[in-house]
Amino acid sequence: MALPQRKTDIGPPHYKQFLPPVIQKNYGKWKYHEVINPGLMVHVAESGDKIWTVRVASPRILATDTIREHCDVADKYCGGFFRYTTRNNVEFLVSDEKQVEPLRKDLAARGFKMGGIGAGITNVVHTQGWVHCHSACTDASGLVKSMMDELMEYFESKRLPNKVRLAVACCVNMCGAVHCSDIAVVAVHTKVPTIAHENFKNMCELPTVIGSCPTRAISPDPANKSVKINAEKCMYCGNCFTVCPPISIKDPERDGVAIVVGGKINSLRTSPKFSKLVIPYISNEPPRWPKVVAAIKHIVEVYAKNARKHERIGEWIERIGWERFFSMTGIDFTFQCIDDFTFMRDTMRTSSTFKW
Amino acid sequence: MKKYDTPLIDELEKGPWPSFVTEMKKSAKKNEMANDAVGHLEKCFKTKVGYWKHGGIVGVLGYGGGVIGRYSELGDEFPGVAHFHTVRINQPSGFFYTSAALREICDIWDKYGSGLTNVHGSTGDLVLLGTKTEALEAIFAEYSSRGWDLGGSGSALRTPSCCVGPGRCEWTNYDTLDLSYALTQEFQDEIHRPTFAYKFKIKMSGCACDCVASIARADMSIIGTWKGNIEVNQDEVKNYAKNGMDINAEIVGMCPTQCMSYDGKELRINNAECSRCMHCITRMTKALRPTGERGATICIGSKAPIVVGSLLSWVIVPFIKVEPPYTEVKDLVRKIWEWWDENAKPRERIGEVIEMKGMRSFLEGIGQAPIPQQIKEPRKDPFMFYTEDDMAAFKAKEAEEKKTGKYKF
Amino acid sequence: MEMSELQDKIFAFCEAAKGKKKLKEKDIINGINAESGLDKDEIKKALREMINVGRLMYSYGGGASSVEIPSEEYLREKGLIK
Repeated sequence: MALPQRKTDIGPPHYKQFLPPVIQKNYGKWKYHEVINPGLMVHVAESGDKIWTVRVASPRILATDTIREHCDVADKYCGGFFRYTTRNNVEFLVSDEKQVEPLRKDLAARGFKMGGIGAGITNVVHTQGWVHCHSACTDASGLVKSMMDELMEYFESKRLPNKVRLAVACCVNMCGAVHCSDIAVVAVHTKVPTIAHENFKNMCELPTVIGSCPTRAISPDPANKSVKINAEKCMYCGNCFTVCPPISIKDPERDGVAIVVGGKINSLRTSPKFSKLVIPYISNEPPRWPKVVAAIKHIVEVYAKNARKHERIGEWIERIGWERFFSMTGIDFTFQCIDDFTFMRDTMRTSSTFKW
Repeated sequence: MKKYDTPLIDELEKGPWPSFVTEMKKSAKKNEMANDAVGHLEKCFKTKVGYWKHGGIVGVLGYGGGVIGRYSELGDEFPGVAHFHTVRINQPSGFFYTSAALREICDIWDKYGSGLTNVHGSTGDLVLLGTKTEALEAIFAEYSSRGWDLGGSGSALRTPSCCVGPGRCEWTNYDTLDLSYALTQEFQDEIHRPTFAYKFKIKMSGCACDCVASIARADMSIIGTWKGNIEVNQDEVKNYAKNGMDINAEIVGMCPTQCMSYDGKELRINNAECSRCMHCITRMTKALRPTGERGATICIGSKAPIVVGSLLSWVIVPFIKVEPPYTEVKDLVRKIWEWWDENAKPRERIGEVIEMKGMRSFLEGIGQAPIPQQIKEPRKDPFMFYTEDDMAAFKAKEAEEKKTGKYKF
Repeated sequence: MEMSELQDKIFAFCEAAKGKKKLKEKDIINGINAESGLDKDEIKKALREMINVGRLMYSYGGGASSVEIPSEEYLREKGLIK
């Protein structure tokens, strides 16, 4: 069968055709919204019109048949209109209040999980992991599934002082903006890369490889027509591997994950913050990473018990002090927690006032 | 079709959270590629290592992005994933869809690919996971003839992305959906044909809540803000108090600029001192709303840790009007690219180039004056550049002071 | 300069760099501009035409995009040779 004629440079379809009529009518004229429960909110327009949003979890990796099921649900209750969120949830947009409860019932019967709105834990931003990435040193989807199974109550019902945004990055490239999350898992290498010298010349550009190293650990190795790596300087970031395939950094027994906490991206109350390292290493334990899951749950619970209402994890820690965070959580403080890369000047304490 | 024994990943079908393994198996039932992807993943879980090779050279004729080559080292063992390329489809603004549109996307994908997707990828594209090189031209013809184009990849403008904005949010200060669409259309060439030193991301949020994380993961962050007062509906304030809100503790006490007061009856705001952080507005959305001139703050440079550490975006333009046809924003984007193009080495993000060349060089390059809103605090060291022009200006100012007898610091 | 002559020049420029340096589009435009003094927009136009018909192609490797001469495999896949 002949293919249709391709078109180039057309960009995406115009968004307007995908907006339900009530949004078209009240576009930019919303007055307020109310969170009715963690899986349901209503937005009210100046005109008095309302739109209900039912939010549903998704594992981000979706089979086309599951997307079709979303379509079926939207056809039945939403005139075919729905959307996805930046954190991979599905949002069914209902214009008729009478459809809200039947929709929720139907979703529950189909096994969809509703939640994620407001001061709890919503879906996890994450990367491809072993499912589909060349530089992954863990599986992001597997970690997310394991974490969220354990934290489900915070998605569906139980409330926290404020949102806790979780993220998982399967290597330090951090394709998912892990670096500003309340709690994030970032997979790390822990060993100096090896080099297949015989392939270097054909596959890599010397200046690019040398330039890729943040710690200047890489220098030319003329005898091998390749490069060498200074083990005392290498911090295992893997950027040289990205630019030069003959460099190899994966190690199944040594690759693992670190946990960082206290980041946020909004400017509410305090400026956006980077997440900071608290647990430098936990071994990869597929399929369920029990220690990683336990650590995250523990941090969430200590936060839930001690933070003031509206404080994000990072704000709570800044109020009580990092020394208190470590004593409250019982997490071991290690050399890795002291910055010896680019932020030491900003992160060492420069006063004698601290808590015991 | 080969049946794989998958005891490890089967564990991830248990538990309440929706399972990606169940999704993969759903596609695997009717698709050979997805079936091999399931077997391949089980092997990764067993050996604790990945088998995907570096991205290869694949794409559609004329474009340099939108398709990411992916090959497995284990192509003989799992022929269905020997080629398993990613296709990025440029999402509509705000991720709004109709069932008809998504069904069409799914039908085409089932015809040519694994049936697996990410809805959506981190940048915002609708990501189709797993197809073969020989299917790429057909996939592109099918999608583009129906109005769907590819997104960005490689050293190019990546697919712009925005928050839900005026579609369903009372807090937005500009039309994020429309700006995202307009910039995507304006810069089609920069998305599809990689001519930059490295990637460039633009993200648009309607307010300081920043629901697309633009401040953390966009080279150019466009964050909505306003210049007028926050209007207070005192009746609604009373309702919040009546419904149990401790307004002094939760609102007044948490205001970062301490510009609010509440005497148990009325909530007052000293608007001149407000830094528009959105805390009070998000907590009392029925009672508080911004008024006056709307626009956005432009910040620049954020990125993840590679190479020398993460960056958050820096404020460069405190306020810009964001109205169709968005000429001012588009011109600024072009000026930013021009300076970047002149100064970047390969694989340098704009934030890194600004660190290398200095913020002054950048601000002068794009024609922005220095103002205190750009910084948290002034420099702490005494090492600074004085150009001949700077000195002439200082001297001229002093000469003027001598004439008028009045100091101007 | 005739378009075809300019394109031959661009092709020769890419051929000379083959296996030595990954060229970005900008490197080619600046290189030909330095050699010939031709207008950069004109060079870009000629280059883009070559990419559109598969005489050159965008490539990706080592974390960055570049322009290179297509392999026979690529041309076969695109149906440009048999």
